[in-house]
Amino acid sequence: MSVFESSMIVTALVCLPLAGGLLAWLSPWRALRTSIVCLTAGLTALAGVYAVVSGPFSLALGPWNTTLAAGFELGLTALIVYFAWEARAWLILGLCAVQLGVYGVEWFGGHGQIPMIEDPVFVLDTLSGILVIIISVIGALILVYATGYMREHAGHAPATNAGDGRFFLVLTGFLGLMNGLVLANNVRWLGVFWEGTTVCSFLLIGHEGTAEARANAQRALLINVFGGVALSLGGLLGARHGVDSLEGIMSARLMAPMALLCIAALAKSAQFPFQSWLLGAMVAPTPVSALLHSATMVKAGSYLILRLAPAFNGSLLLKVIALAGGFTFAVAAALAVSQSNAKRVLAYSTISNLGLIVACAGIATPLAYAAALMILCYHAASKGLLFLCVGAIEQKIGSRDIEDMGSLLYTMPVTACVTIAGMLTMLMPPFGMLMSKLMAIEAAIDAPLVVLLVIGGSALTVFFWAKWIGRMQTVSYHPKYQIEQMPTSMMGVLIALCVIVLGGGIASMAVYRAVIEPLALRTCADAPAKALAALRAAGNLHSWPVLVFPLLAALAWLATVVRFDASHVRLPYLAGENLDETELSYKFRSLKDEPAVAWAMSLYFKHTLNEARITPWANLIAWLLVVSLLGVLGAA
Amino acid sequence: MRELLIVMTALVAAPVMGLLLNGADRILTARLQGRVGPPLLQPLYDIVKLFRKQPLVLNRVQIGYVYLHLAFMLMTIVMLALGRDMLLALFAHAFSTLSLVIGASSVRSPFSRIGAQRKIMQMLAYEPVLILLVVGIYLRTGSFMAGAVAQLDTPLIASLPLVFLAFLVAIEIKLEKSPFDVATSHHAHQELVKGITLEYAGRYFAIIELTHLYETFLLLAIVAAFFMTQLWLGVLVALAVYVAAIVVDNLCARLRTAWMVRYMWTVPVALAVCNVIWLYLQPQRGM
Amino acid sequence: MALNVHEMLARSPWFVHYNCNSCNGCDIELLACVTPLYDVERFGMLHVGNPKHADILVVTGSVNHRNARVLKNIYAQLPTPHVVVALGVCSSSGGVFAGSYNILGGVDKVIPVDVFVPGCPPRPEAMIDGFVRAVEMLKAKSAGAAVAPATKPVITVAPAPQESHAG
Repeated sequence: MSVFESSMIVTALVCLPLAGGLLAWLSPWRALRTSIVCLTAGLTALAGVYAVVSGPFSLALGPWNTTLAAGFELGLTALIVYFAWEARAWLILGLCAVQLGVYGVEWFGGHGQIPMIEDPVFVLDTLSGILVIIISVIGALILVYATGYMREHAGHAPATNAGDGRFFLVLTGFLGLMNGLVLANNVRWLGVFWEGTTVCSFLLIGHEGTAEARANAQRALLINVFGGVALSLGGLLGARHGVDSLEGIMSARLMAPMALLCIAALAKSAQFPFQSWLLGAMVAPTPVSALLHSATMVKAGSYLILRLAPAFNGSLLLKVIALAGGFTFAVAAALAVSQSNAKRVLAYSTISNLGLIVACAGIATPLAYAAALMILCYHAASKGLLFLCVGAIEQKIGSRDIEDMGSLLYTMPVTACVTIAGMLTMLMPPFGMLMSKLMAIEAAIDAPLVVLLVIGGSALTVFFWAKWIGRMQTVSYHPKYQIEQMPTSMMGVLIALCVIVLGGGIASMAVYRAVIEPLALRTCADAPAKALAALRAAGNLHSWPVLVFPLLAALAWLATVVRFDASHVRLPYLAGENLDETELSYKFRSLKDEPAVAWAMSLYFKHTLNEARITPWANLIAWLLVVSLLGVLGAA
Repeated sequence: MRELLIVMTALVAAPVMGLLLNGADRILTARLQGRVGPPLLQPLYDIVKLFRKQPLVLNRVQIGYVYLHLAFMLMTIVMLALGRDMLLALFAHAFSTLSLVIGASSVRSPFSRIGAQRKIMQMLAYEPVLILLVVGIYLRTGSFMAGAVAQLDTPLIASLPLVFLAFLVAIEIKLEKSPFDVATSHHAHQELVKGITLEYAGRYFAIIELTHLYETFLLLAIVAAFFMTQLWLGVLVALAVYVAAIVVDNLCARLRTAWMVRYMWTVPVALAVCNVIWLYLQPQRGM
Repeated sequence: MALNVHEMLARSPWFVHYNCNSCNGCDIELLACVTPLYDVERFGMLHVGNPKHADILVVTGSVNHRNARVLKNIYAQLPTPHVVVALGVCSSSGGVFAGSYNILGGVDKVIPVDVFVPGCPPRPEAMIDGFVRAVEMLKAKSAGAAVAPATKPVITVAPAPQESHAG
């Protein structure tokens, strides 16, 4: 591919959303803004698909790109200093000072006698291609959803909120920054886009403007700037060895930059001990949670580790990373069980799944790499869908609590069906998430501690999804259902994304064979034969029973529902003292004929899995793991 | 073609043998209690009767999940009969139970929901043992395929004795027998007013009973697989295990759910973990 | 073993039992039927607690105003085919409490009854005899045949003759 074409693609993927966001910000009318955002979303999706379809490229640029990157670095740091100063956040200001120090050393310190290796600045290969598709297509869908959501949201937003113009500027522009992040091969450009997404996250979390939102936005800024500093330090140490790109770090197998980049990735992906910012980020409007905090931005960290890990195969560093990822997976799943706030459950589930990706990246066998890729793809789609559903539900019923979501199947049938379908794809065979968890367990089998953590986490994962699905489906018999009122953009996106998730899930093994297995083979080509055989064998997981039997069950159910005899409906058993003769309810006649309500809540284990009690210990263990990563700096 | 034949045989033989085992269970229980007991084919009469009854339900959603319950159990049996991936078969088995749990949670019946919660607690209690079983078999055969077990020279019991013992305890939970019969109880028909299966009547309850027959056969087949080199011994041991399960059921009272989880996560899991660690440390694994 | 479906149904009659204002005498004797001495499980009968799983509804007691409601509710939760057995003389006519202000005086005042088993309490052998007849009716109902309605026992508790106090 010619330099011109590849630079056009990069420009389109990065600058198109930014331009669209700017235009959306400048639009005076909502209708105009909505059309601009939808147009930008569509064009970005097309650009993403075109980019991936037209094949991989490596784009090398002249020395002017370093100056441009330096300019952006300075600009973004200045922006962060401004935000931190406004909020009097001294810790962040301190980190910015460190950041500026690192930049100073980089710009003026010189590289001594080691010549810089010229590496391409932007690279599109299969791994970044997968992420470009996720960002462009799923991001586009979420943008369209956001137009409808924010229109409804405007009715009851707090007075301190920053306004739709700024919202869409940042949300749309974010897509461009994210595309740039996954395309970047040069560490400085990576840092630019990394900081850019941090700023976007800060602005979007603080969108509502309430005290809680501002506090959580600051916490997110603090942790992500810390990650950014680690990233720049990693780049600086790499430059000391004459490499300034990810490919360079990989081929020279530089431990110290790798450790620092991994720490930055752990911070961005909200792994323990950095998870608090993602939990706090749930105060943002739901499209933000869907786009940034489940589908794309938090994936950036795990993507980075996944890209770098195959080069460091066999090192102790990767073993520690695997352990950190497995630990996060298990503990986050345990804490998700104790939550009844729907968005917090989804947040912990996201953290947990990202931990699994990191753990698989750390194990670095071909099968583990493939498993990590599958989780990356399927989790982005399913979790994004679930966040969008929870947003719609919250707008309708005004609550985020799972216990309030009973009988949603009747009040909001389409949304409830889509949500249940989404949760089933996270949970059951033949869908991709379960197959990838299976592959992860099989890949981790030779690392006993990691496999125990993964097994424990998987068991707990099943638990909280089952609880939620059961609660949402609790409904009386109604002969007719009515489709709920919802803005078309929201309902359309929910259905479209549901179709994508279901189709992609059922075809998961086809996707594996077509895309993921070849990628894993190419990346881990020097693995032992047994490992490669395991990679190939995993493609057979989808034997016909996995597809046939659930399909038969679904067909049997459809047949029963279609010919359902309403005379078969009865009341629940309440020892004959049901109060409501027509409606299923828990009300019964108690002593003295007084009405009482029987209520069976779900299990939350709030005492054993107490978040306040477990989090400090989990953070301590995670910090110990992170600090041990820095041990390689002694050798640098 | 051969595959289809194996599948058909498994799908037909399993419930027939499960039926005879279940009938024998009731007769043995009766004799232990000084009674005569029903005829051997009583489970067949029960299931046929249930198919004749009006299928009363509370909503349409719960129906789908009982079909899934059976479908996943059939998937497990077929995958193990064909020698496919054991971990996937284990997950299918877990999802069979989970489907029933979700179905029972979809109705506004407090007894049903409590039964479902207790079923989840049971799953939390025995799943670690089952997963350690699969891990142990992998460490012994070097493959996740169930077919590899049939090609061993020495039986599994020689390298997985403690895992076997842990699995026996897990069987007691799966068969809903005392002291672990907290979700719906095999013999005490009024525990939680039938708990998780309360709001299923007619053919849907028949499907649940049918799935239970498949499950009984599956568990005992796994016991027999520990002695696969001398299968006749395996069958005898499986029958002995079943008799022992019935005797323990008659001896013990039902204990609390919390005790069950605590007990399972200490004694049987510790045994299984010791066995698995021992296998990890074996030098000839070549990993 | 050439049994047809209805015969198989008759070999698996599960009963659920409700006490509607009984003194517990009939209930205790009913439970005696499931003990080793009488063992109705020989006939495939199981004492279930859930009306949705039951074929036979066994009612004891003379039924008062409050539990008439409950009895109707439970009866509605029985899946067809089903039979109702009124156990004891209280369920037939009110028994020793006949004419009392608080009772309705018999299960058939609330739901249709198929078999009356008189006695105060009926002996377990009488109960089992009643169940066997109920199972016959269950088989007939399952086959779609018309089932003759139950005949109430005619002889109930008669008031004691007035004694002349001589002297």
